[in-house]
Amino acid sequence: MTGFQKKTKRFGSRDPLPWLAPALLVLAAFYAVPVLDVVRLAFSDATLFRPPSSYSLNSFVDVLTSSVLPDVLITTLVFTGLSVIALQCVGLTIALLLVRGERRHLPGMASFRTLVLAAWVVPGIANGLIWQMLFDEAPYGTLNSLLGSVGLGPIAWLSDPTMAMLSAVIANVWQGTAFSMIVFYAARKGVDEALYEVASVDGANGWDKFWAITVPQLRLAIAANSILVAVQTLNTFDSILALTGGGPGRATEVLALFTFNTVFYNLDLSGGSVLALVLFALGLGFATLVFGWLRRDST
Amino acid sequence: MSRLTLAATLAITVSAAALSMPASAQDLVTRTLVGLPDAPNTLTFRLTAFDLYSSDDATREGFEALFTDFILARPDWKIETQLQTASIGQEQARILQQTLAGRGPDCAMIDSSQLALFKENGVLQPMNAVFSDEEVADLFPYVRDAVTNEDGDVLAWWWFTDLRVLYRDTSVVPDAPETWEELKAAALTAADAGKEGILFNGGRWEGTAFDWLANFWAQGGRLVEDEGVPVFAEGENREKFLAAVAYVQDLVESGAAPQRVSSIVNYDAFNAAAAAGTAAMFIGGNWQYGQLRNTLPEEDFANWAVSELPGPTADQRATGTGGWTIASLSDDPEKAAICGEIAKEIYAGPGNALQGLLPTSAALYEQYDAYEGPEFELFAEALQNGVSRPGAAIYPEISNQIQILLGDVLSGSSTPEAALDAAAEAVQGAFERL
Repeated sequence: MTGFQKKTKRFGSRDPLPWLAPALLVLAAFYAVPVLDVVRLAFSDATLFRPPSSYSLNSFVDVLTSSVLPDVLITTLVFTGLSVIALQCVGLTIALLLVRGERRHLPGMASFRTLVLAAWVVPGIANGLIWQMLFDEAPYGTLNSLLGSVGLGPIAWLSDPTMAMLSAVIANVWQGTAFSMIVFYAARKGVDEALYEVASVDGANGWDKFWAITVPQLRLAIAANSILVAVQTLNTFDSILALTGGGPGRATEVLALFTFNTVFYNLDLSGGSVLALVLFALGLGFATLVFGWLRRDST
Repeated sequence: MSRLTLAATLAITVSAAALSMPASAQDLVTRTLVGLPDAPNTLTFRLTAFDLYSSDDATREGFEALFTDFILARPDWKIETQLQTASIGQEQARILQQTLAGRGPDCAMIDSSQLALFKENGVLQPMNAVFSDEEVADLFPYVRDAVTNEDGDVLAWWWFTDLRVLYRDTSVVPDAPETWEELKAAALTAADAGKEGILFNGGRWEGTAFDWLANFWAQGGRLVEDEGVPVFAEGENREKFLAAVAYVQDLVESGAAPQRVSSIVNYDAFNAAAAAGTAAMFIGGNWQYGQLRNTLPEEDFANWAVSELPGPTADQRATGTGGWTIASLSDDPEKAAICGEIAKEIYAGPGNALQGLLPTSAALYEQYDAYEGPEFELFAEALQNGVSRPGAAIYPEISNQIQILLGDVLSGSSTPEAALDAAAEAVQGAFERL
């Protein structure tokens, strides 16, 4: 190593701040400042049209002791839990099918991948409207008509509270599967094929290979995807807003939608800020749990 | 002169003539601008997507012509247009927030239900120079009260109103039901015949609360006191509220209305049901009459009739009245005047007639042939029982809670009493934080 290289390395490793400063400044301007402002508003008495005039814990007390919050949190956890599990399963299944299809040089694999990705680019509101049309319970509604043609249904897709939740999950999974599929597809491509060949020589069947090779090898991808889709789902409100509006009653009113309603119906900016912090804490808590599990697992 | 030279000369002549002529409607109206880009004065106007930028070609072209005439008469002005999305509550909140921060548009369409909030915040600028005392006096009383202040200043112009009516397929329901009981009986008869008896909004959106409120108002119920304090869950109001909830709950539980009403979140669902021939009755807006006429085959449309919303008794009737206003948010008197002139010259008269919307001034019904149909006599009669939403800042949350309450009750998740208690608690909490 030359003296110049040594000097450069020493400079970079001892004093990284100058190199990181631009990135830190950008992050601070676009992320930290708005987050800190939300924290400030949460302690204030601000409404949508009135700036803060005093600071206290009142908004925290009001929001956290609200009789509605437990129901909203349960709805959020059910929606997020079901969505994350379904997104992982469907995304992984499609990714593995794609890899298998490509390995066997089946025609149409690129089209299949594009088709799945197409749902990803649909905006949330449009996604909600599309599924609202499909789930329409009118005698001429799309899905119920199809079910009726084979002697099934009709199903109260949106007017029954339980089915409305399931419908919201289906719409969310349809849109979000592509992301999970990409993550798992990339991770699966990175698995050494020799492992599968050795397993085949040892007489392992497909199921054995899946549990003994694929799942352990994709462990990191599963963890990372869990966090990403969980946070993404926690923040989902636009598709639900268009699909059910949070109804019937509060059956599909998740925390993000409740926050939106608190700000734009109640005009309660401080209460909405408290809810935004709760949402932030939930996402952070889940990420910490998954990373903690990963670290413990790796040691 | 060769043919080529002649053609070139003609082309130059035509081009020069075109340059000297006024621009056409298409040139003067773009997606973001009305007028010439280099006009010295600018008015920013935030409007909805239902007229100048309507997806309906005839409506859009009609408004393009009206705006073109307007701007040709004011060559020193251009109007920068800003489109509002369909998310009314959010859009209106944004306009108010931006105006309070000094970044609002000069002129904007304000939903009539939100007008009080804008008045309360003192952001509306008088447009007195545009409207005469006679014109103000000719407004329907509830409209006049809403658009003027104590000093008689015209703070907005409510350019059209609407109301809710009962639509019925007369081949299934020949006589108009006048009471809740009559409506239930007619709907059950229709349901027995394989139709959906009665459809109404029951999902999570403003239309659900607004349409249902007619049942509450018909009994004389009040949502808020004069000072804006919520009182809908107290004393006699509570009984009236529960009676109105029990009425719609009974419609669903008896099968007069299908369970799916608790998922209906737009009026188009009723047009679709009428077109499919699956519904016997629905509670819709007056504007749907024209839509049905344009959508249904003539012989099918002939079966449809409108009538006043039934009440608990034939004498107790009410209907929710809505509509849009145009208001100036700029303290520049010239801009306030242009804003008022837009409301008066484009929207309130010819714009209404173009779309078949209901004017808020009696004189305009006489002025335009568009209001000669028998349905307009019924609408005018029903407007006598019109009630507008309270001009209180807490109204959006009351509406939100009514939507939740009806959803919970209609889906069987809660009893009317428990749902009303929960709604009252939530509204009171929100009111105290306002």
